[in-house]
Amino acid sequence: MIGILGATGAVGRTAAQRIAAYGLGPLRVGGRNLTRAADLASSLPAPAHAVRADLNDPAELAAFCDGCRIVVSCAGPTYQVLDTVARAAFAAGADYVDIGGELAAKDALTGEGVAGDRTAVFSAGVMPGLSGLLPRLLAKGRPLRRLDVYVGGAAVFTPLSAVDALLTRGPRFGEPMAAWREGRVAPGTLAPLHQVRLPGFPVPVHAWPYLTTEAQTLATDTGADEVRSYNVFVSNRLPEALAATWAEVPDARPETLAPHAETVVRASLRDNADFGAFYVMLFTARPRPGAPPGPTRVLLTAVDSYALSGVVMALATRAVLSGSVPAGVHLAAEVLDPDATASALRKDVLVEGLTVE
Amino acid sequence: MKELAEIWSELLGLPPGEIPHDVGFLRLGGDSVLAVRMSALVRKRLGVALALSDVRVETTLDDLAELVRRHTSGGAPATRALPLTVTPRPDPHAEFPLLPLQQGYFVGQQDGWELSYDSAHYYLDYALTGVDGDEAADALADAVGRLATHQPTLRARVTPDGRQHVLPADAPGAVPQVRVYDLREAGPAEIATALRDVRQEMSTSGPDPTRGPGIDVRLTLLPGDEGRLHLGLSLLIFDGWSSSVLSRDLLAFVADWNAALPPLDIHFGDYVTSLADLPATEAWQADRDWWWSRLDTLPGPPALPLAADPQEVRPVTMGNREHRWRAESWAALRRQCTDRGVTPSTAMLTAFGVVLARWAGHRRMLLNSLQLNRLPIHPEVQRVVGAFAATMLLPLDLAAEATFAELAATVQATSGEHAAHNLITGVEVGREVARRRGSWRPVGPVVFQSVLGVDAAMGGGPPEEAGPLGRVVASDYFHQLRTPQVAIEVRCFELGPEMVAVFSLVEELFDTDQVTAAFAEFVALVDALADGSGWDRLPGLPEETEPGPASGLRLGLLPEPAVRHREGPPADDMEQAVADVFEELLEVPVLDRAADFFGLGGDSLLAVRAVVRLAKEAGVSVPVREFLSDSTVAGVAAVVRSRLGDQR
Repeated sequence: MIGILGATGAVGRTAAQRIAAYGLGPLRVGGRNLTRAADLASSLPAPAHAVRADLNDPAELAAFCDGCRIVVSCAGPTYQVLDTVARAAFAAGADYVDIGGELAAKDALTGEGVAGDRTAVFSAGVMPGLSGLLPRLLAKGRPLRRLDVYVGGAAVFTPLSAVDALLTRGPRFGEPMAAWREGRVAPGTLAPLHQVRLPGFPVPVHAWPYLTTEAQTLATDTGADEVRSYNVFVSNRLPEALAATWAEVPDARPETLAPHAETVVRASLRDNADFGAFYVMLFTARPRPGAPPGPTRVLLTAVDSYALSGVVMALATRAVLSGSVPAGVHLAAEVLDPDATASALRKDVLVEGLTVE
Repeated sequence: MKELAEIWSELLGLPPGEIPHDVGFLRLGGDSVLAVRMSALVRKRLGVALALSDVRVETTLDDLAELVRRHTSGGAPATRALPLTVTPRPDPHAEFPLLPLQQGYFVGQQDGWELSYDSAHYYLDYALTGVDGDEAADALADAVGRLATHQPTLRARVTPDGRQHVLPADAPGAVPQVRVYDLREAGPAEIATALRDVRQEMSTSGPDPTRGPGIDVRLTLLPGDEGRLHLGLSLLIFDGWSSSVLSRDLLAFVADWNAALPPLDIHFGDYVTSLADLPATEAWQADRDWWWSRLDTLPGPPALPLAADPQEVRPVTMGNREHRWRAESWAALRRQCTDRGVTPSTAMLTAFGVVLARWAGHRRMLLNSLQLNRLPIHPEVQRVVGAFAATMLLPLDLAAEATFAELAATVQATSGEHAAHNLITGVEVGREVARRRGSWRPVGPVVFQSVLGVDAAMGGGPPEEAGPLGRVVASDYFHQLRTPQVAIEVRCFELGPEMVAVFSLVEELFDTDQVTAAFAEFVALVDALADGSGWDRLPGLPEETEPGPASGLRLGLLPEPAVRHREGPPADDMEQAVADVFEELLEVPVLDRAADFFGLGGDSLLAVRAVVRLAKEAGVSVPVREFLSDSTVAGVAAVVRSRLGDQR
């Protein structure tokens, strides 16, 4: 049995459809709204039944996990979920995959022996997730002089995802305007780029340097001399809305940020009205002189980043079930196989294009 | 009203109280040059941007006051006054950037464009009588020395990567040296040869401010107390207004060992430095929006039939056709213009447009006009020498069934409207046009230049008495111009009481008979304007608005080399090295081999810098012209590779 939480959301719907289509087993579809969960369950191409599940109710959560081989959580918001569901899954003897979590959840579970012989994979979405995984296609033991990450586009925020975005700030997430240089974070070394043309992006874009912790790990793992990582926007509306909120709310907590989510949502809606929806992940490598030949660019284009995250969740689930992920607590970018993930993504209709050249 | 009267008083040299409120600007002695300055002063002091089409030359002080009232009362959008101030820089020898037109000349000197020369410069010599042969040389050298103190721009240098600075007065070679040819004992044949040689030399190799002074001063002493003064001026350092200021200052110093000119508090570098703040102003942004909204509908240059592709010719000098109008004709022309409510410059521009339309076979065309363009952000700006000038792109749309007078009225309105948005210059507009069209051929290769009225604006003609140098015979002169990116231009200027018009052109491009015919037509048309018969005639313009399908080579309709590279990441180390150089100079990611240097935001000056960087990185010098002919990452890498191959 595969238990999937938050299945009726933007990410979960696609994750459930893909898991069912991959034929990984029967599904238990959990949601706060039983009717919507049941509608989804009946639409899936695999045996599935709906269960009411509230993450804030420990008994309901335990009941949901009971009997599952693996629990897949697409539920948010990330800051609230943290390691709660993972612990419940482990208690039921199940493995675990989570759309979010990042370092906070991973650290909470690491080193206590909580996992035992079980496996948990966090941050198995687009970003973080794919954004730290696909660039590894360009390294493969080849010494890199520079690695660039450009990820973003035009996507509509929900109030919930807006709060998540507002919370991804601080040393646990990344450092704005920083690059990675010669083994460490070099603060204040990059400036925002305005109206630049980047391969794969359909319009000139604004790219804001943000060296995520994921990019820092990527830098260490690949040994690149320099890593530049940018969040890409189609206009300055979103960066301005985010910055305005951060300027107004010094202590960033979900409660203090929630009233400002509306501004962020509105900015994303206006971007969407002007540019439509698109999502691009661009990674470029510059090998050191004399390095062996190999690919220097990975370019993935899609329309909907939420749906794309659902696909990644399903692929992570499949990887765990097939035994290709060792026991323990991991981040998807560090544990999934880049080649296998890329070839699976290439076959998915939700991916418009994925080139490695 | 008081401020307006003060502005008129300054420009017209009349006491403010004596300016009648109901007499037109032109009749009070104004002209198109002064009208540009008037509009600029109104903008600066009152914060009102008037279209010059509003400020017609027959505008009276009452009219102007009413216009300003309408603008400030919300009838029309008012812009803020230019919030720029010029102050002396703490370090007068610090480097500062080149202005856009200087950049164009600089790139031209690197053989960057088609129609380029080793130096963009103006050469002039004129006759002197009553020269004190024993004193003249020393007096001239001393005057140049004092001039180099008064006007530090005489000590200006341009760096190889396209910046400029002024050398300290005591730096070796800072002060231009005067060369003297003493032919007082020579015979006529020897004199003729010597004169021909110096003209040939100074016409074909101008002063190069990347290596020495931007000015070359020489004196030939001739028998009978006669002589000639030779001046070579780099266009990179001096504009047309500057050469007038320079001549006046120089002759004032020569005439009197003890002459002291009113000191200048600011210099060209201070002005340029203050302009760095211009793009932050609302006025600048409004001008940019105004131009950008018109770019996609700008016409091409007149489709003149060509004898050769400009890319294929390597001109050394430009050919001239020149005509002088005697004092009576010139005075008659001025009167006619006044009666018709247009400036003489407008009349000449319209006549040039008519001739071009008949020659090219269509009526809608883009001209490039040279503007004095000194922003009145400091009271001394007009007295400083430097390369302040700018170009302005000017579309002409001549109606088929209009009389000359009607055409001229329209041209004056169009020209005024465009000149009222002069914070963005023609070079910048041209760059954006080229970027949008994806063409790197010159956007405005047909140029109109008029300095009619400059003498009046400077308070009379240049001095004629020059102490030991004797007396200037201004009408006995020889001159030669080389401006890059120009196929043909007309220049109109005053010479004492006379008027001169010159066609300067790249002879290799045109059929000589056609040029001769066009110039004859131009002269006949101006004659008819002076005698009054030309104004109410239909000038016989072609039916077609736009150029028809090209038969043979035509200006503006030349084949574009189609450069297409497969898109993708840089294919090898060489392409990556080129991408790295692009990235460093443009400060944007350069991630694709098909990305174009200009499409990424580069301009020609940065292209020269890229060439300098590539020479350092790859150890090979890429000619600027080859860089520009295919400025993609892959294209430049291919040039570097082939040059490296040649070296081996």
